[in-house]
Amino acid sequence: MTDPKQSITEAEAIEQAKQGHEAAFEVLYHLHKRRVYSLCLRMVSNPAQAEDLAQEAFLQLFRKIGTFRGESAFSTWLHRMTVNVVLMQLRKKGLPVVSLEETLEAEDEAPRKEFGTRDAKLTSSIDRLHLERAIDRLPPGYRTVFVLHDVEGFEHNEIAQIVGCSIGNSKSQLHKARLKLREYLKFMRAEKAKTG
Amino acid sequence: MTCAEVRQVLPEILDGGPEGVFPVDFESHVKSCLACSDLISDLKLISSEARQLAASEEPAPRVWVRIAAELRAEGLIREPAVFDPAREAESTSPRRRWSAWWLVPVAAALLVAGSYVVSHKQAPQMAKRQAPATPLTTPTPVTSAATSASVSAPAPSATPTSAPSAAPQRLARKSAKRTEVVASAEKPAVEPEPSAEDQQFLSIVSTRVPSMRATYESQLKAVNAHIREVQAYLKLNPGDAEARQHLMDAYQQKALLYQIALDRIQ
Repeated sequence: MTDPKQSITEAEAIEQAKQGHEAAFEVLYHLHKRRVYSLCLRMVSNPAQAEDLAQEAFLQLFRKIGTFRGESAFSTWLHRMTVNVVLMQLRKKGLPVVSLEETLEAEDEAPRKEFGTRDAKLTSSIDRLHLERAIDRLPPGYRTVFVLHDVEGFEHNEIAQIVGCSIGNSKSQLHKARLKLREYLKFMRAEKAKTG
Repeated sequence: MTCAEVRQVLPEILDGGPEGVFPVDFESHVKSCLACSDLISDLKLISSEARQLAASEEPAPRVWVRIAAELRAEGLIREPAVFDPAREAESTSPRRRWSAWWLVPVAAALLVAGSYVVSHKQAPQMAKRQAPATPLTTPTPVTSAATSASVSAPAPSATPTSAPSAAPQRLARKSAKRTEVVASAEKPAVEPEPSAEDQQFLSIVSTRVPSMRATYESQLKAVNAHIREVQAYLKLNPGDAEARQHLMDAYQQKALLYQIALDRIQ
């Protein structure tokens, strides 16, 4: 027997959700759950917290679904809402949404390279687990900008608006985040080579 | 152009610097400087690989259960009221109503049983604290058929999708550090028959909401399989506090399954 919900479109689900149909809420949840949860997980690096945040994001969305008029894509609306939920949580916990660069320099654990010196290049692909771990190690401010830009595909002007910083600051933090990730990834690779 | 100058303009160039407006000697420097060209290709690689992490994680099924419960509590879920005389008669029949209420104590009993089993497991753990560590093993991770059954296609409304939970997922993550898996011999070769309570539960579901029977049956199988898996794992690793918590979670999910069915039937 075919599940009738499988043939429903997102637009139909939105309309039915506005009427309070549970099945429609569920369809919308299943359509977007991975993206929302992954975003939360990348930004807070804690599965239990990410679940709570994803839940909160969907609840906020469903509470406001009656006001959705379709001017923007539904997914954009949801992802923006998710980011806001996560950032609010970070702010509540007193974590910087935008990095305080001077203080963060001291947190760098990986060895620094001087300009012009060449070291081993990363291979043509990066182990996904290593990349995830490296992102987890980023200071929260760098991580936010990196996740929003490189993972989620937000533009710098959007990030600047969302996190409340300048476009230049967003670019600069993204660049520094990538540099740190490169160092972490090399460090991990070296550690792995040592342990065999 | 020096390496330092290249690195100063790099953030602009890597991110949407319009084609053709690079500083004149940027490209010639990069071509001749291996350190800078490696740096640029690494940063581009990191950026492109990062994109694959979007939507890469699956939330635990319990997230939807919690959301649905909250939506119901807030009155946001308003199922259209369709008058069905047959169902109306059923729901007002005292015998029928009574027959579903047995689920309440069963759900509570499951929780108590879960607590007992979990706390009971702590005794051997204390005893074994001095004993040599058991080889590190872990239950079969998320890929079990039971888990995938509940996680894949969207389940019908009010479906207790939480059955297998994120517990195996967390265990699976943990297992990254572990190398061995529970040998297949440790798992029951044949799936045991459902308990009397489970059979009675399914029989009531069949009577009251026949369309949900298959879903509840598969969820029940999934949660039971998960309980068995964690129990088998705990036999080998009685000191694993995380696994004990997973077992408790699994019992809670089974209780939740009964509770959701009860809400649905009433």
